[in-house]
Amino acid sequence: METLNYLAHGFATALQWHNLLFAFVGVLIGTAVGVLPGIGPMSGVALLIPITASMTGGLGPEEAATSSIILLAGVYYGAMYGGSTTSILLNTPGESSSVVTTLDGYQMARQGRAGAALAIAAIGSFVAGLFALIALVVLAQPLSTVAIKFGPADYFSLMLLGLAAVSGLAGKSMTKALIMTVLGLLLATIGMDTVSGVARFTYDIPVLYSGLEFLTVAVGLFALGEVFKTILEKDYSSGKIAKIGRVLPTKQDLKDSAAPIARGSLLGFFIGILPGAGATLASFFSYIMEKKMSKRPETFGKGNIAGVAAPESANNAASGGAMIPLLTLGIPGSGTTAILMGALIMYNVQPGPLLFDEHPQVAWGLIASMFIGNLMLLILNMPLVKVFAKVIQTPAKYLIPIIVAISIFGVYAVQAQIFDLMLLLGCGIAGYFLVRNDYPLAPLVLGLVLGPMIENNMRRALTTSNGDFMIFLQKPMSAVFLLIAALWIIVPLLMKKRGKQVIVNEEG
Amino acid sequence: MNKKFDRYASFVYLLIGIGFVWQSTTISASSYGSNVGPNIFPLGLGSLLILLSIRLFYEVLKAKDHGGEKEKLDYKRFLMIFAAAVLYAFFFEDIGYILGTFLFLLFSFQVLERGKWLKSLLIASLFSVGVYVLFVVILEGSMPGFPSWLSLS
Repeated sequence: METLNYLAHGFATALQWHNLLFAFVGVLIGTAVGVLPGIGPMSGVALLIPITASMTGGLGPEEAATSSIILLAGVYYGAMYGGSTTSILLNTPGESSSVVTTLDGYQMARQGRAGAALAIAAIGSFVAGLFALIALVVLAQPLSTVAIKFGPADYFSLMLLGLAAVSGLAGKSMTKALIMTVLGLLLATIGMDTVSGVARFTYDIPVLYSGLEFLTVAVGLFALGEVFKTILEKDYSSGKIAKIGRVLPTKQDLKDSAAPIARGSLLGFFIGILPGAGATLASFFSYIMEKKMSKRPETFGKGNIAGVAAPESANNAASGGAMIPLLTLGIPGSGTTAILMGALIMYNVQPGPLLFDEHPQVAWGLIASMFIGNLMLLILNMPLVKVFAKVIQTPAKYLIPIIVAISIFGVYAVQAQIFDLMLLLGCGIAGYFLVRNDYPLAPLVLGLVLGPMIENNMRRALTTSNGDFMIFLQKPMSAVFLLIAALWIIVPLLMKKRGKQVIVNEEG
Repeated sequence: MNKKFDRYASFVYLLIGIGFVWQSTTISASSYGSNVGPNIFPLGLGSLLILLSIRLFYEVLKAKDHGGEKEKLDYKRFLMIFAAAVLYAFFFEDIGYILGTFLFLLFSFQVLERGKWLKSLLIASLFSVGVYVLFVVILEGSMPGFPSWLSLS
């Protein structure tokens, strides 16, 4: 009952007119981000942090945090809806999480059923989004009551587990992923040490005392990195899009896709909760599962509507599921949730078990706004899908310089320092070369966000144990987390040794 | 090509690791009442990075070079836009947002596709003025609008 009460308060927050506007802008931009092949959810969210920061400048700290996170989360799940549009109409996925949608979606478009495919993708996403949210509401309070009992040692190990999971699943080479994680953690140590107040690696350069700003690094690595890639690879010509035709699905379509949507939602949600496994893996798994369960597996890849319904539901459910560890434990499981967490920290809101006690307005306001946002997305994506199809035709040659300009504007608006602009451009170059050579960026950002917290918890734990590292193994919870973390790294290594294919999460 | 990058990269990581380990020994170790100082975390991570970079180097040695196909990269356009972005960022405060953004966008549009001057001019000016009006006039943010020596604002 208490939960419902909180949720009602959340709706009261989310239904304030400015928060409705923020949710709407968020899902609108999110859909556009999903549709545009050049920008993924990570760079979209990163780019919008400075803009929301200036938009919420007139509000109080608590309201500002609520409104911003409503908008940014809207971009995140909105992108999951939008990603299917290009997959179906163009055969090029807007996001990595919509790659499998191309298999059947584009075939349906070629058969003149593009409208039905788009509608089923939107309906599936909506159902999955609602399912994930209800699960989030039910699980949030119990999970945070468990998590609140964690001591510093447990927290340290849990965060280590999060890092291990993301590194273990990201990219082709685990060594490279681990290097990126360690690099992110090291970069986080630059600046004033929060425990002792000692300046580290600053060399008397004043701008370094506050550390490298997370926002600058994230926008540079993701948004600029992708832009530079597009310029270098001359990837800015636009393809031909298929005709949409009638949008409403037939009764048969709905009947055929009801079960895949339900299965996709369930599977996607549980994959989303796992750290490291994000929307991309969820959509792959659900596609494979549908194909295995189908009575006529040969129709997959030839325009079977279940091949659109299941993965599109799964990736949206996963994005909802990923909010659970972020909000209740303070552990982001993917690159995009790491960026959302960075945004919350910018507003002095620490995600974690205390979030629901200390900032109920932020937590429940966000959850309630996600209900509203999903409804908005359904409306946006059904009748207005033809408008969004037009967005695809935005010539990239105008978009690329504008993204650079927005990045520079956004970083300057928040930081007001030329140093940060230079760091931004440097990170852009680094981002391009790292991605090109299979160094995943998500672990680096995760390390950068989690770095200070891992260090604080480690030192607090070590202080209570007088510097004895065995404390991490003596506390039972902590030992369990460390064991899982170790398994997460070792098992894929062993599987590779045996020559088995390991599925990796390529979500940037 | 990939292999070459990884080899150089492993050296860079090794140097970064050594650098962090070396520099963290210079951090004053003792904070009051605790033998866990601010140097432990970077020291440990630096050592870990050294180990990982050696492992990467070893992996690269073992790996076969796949690098058959070489894509042609458009370095010319990229360098032009990048240089423009650096200049834009560096002189951001001196020439102001509107003028800087307008020039940067106009230049980049023309680099990516010559011609269509009218469209380029229109989009560049609409974007730079539009964002400025939205951010500074409506949202009351602070941003250097015009160069101070023009004394317009």
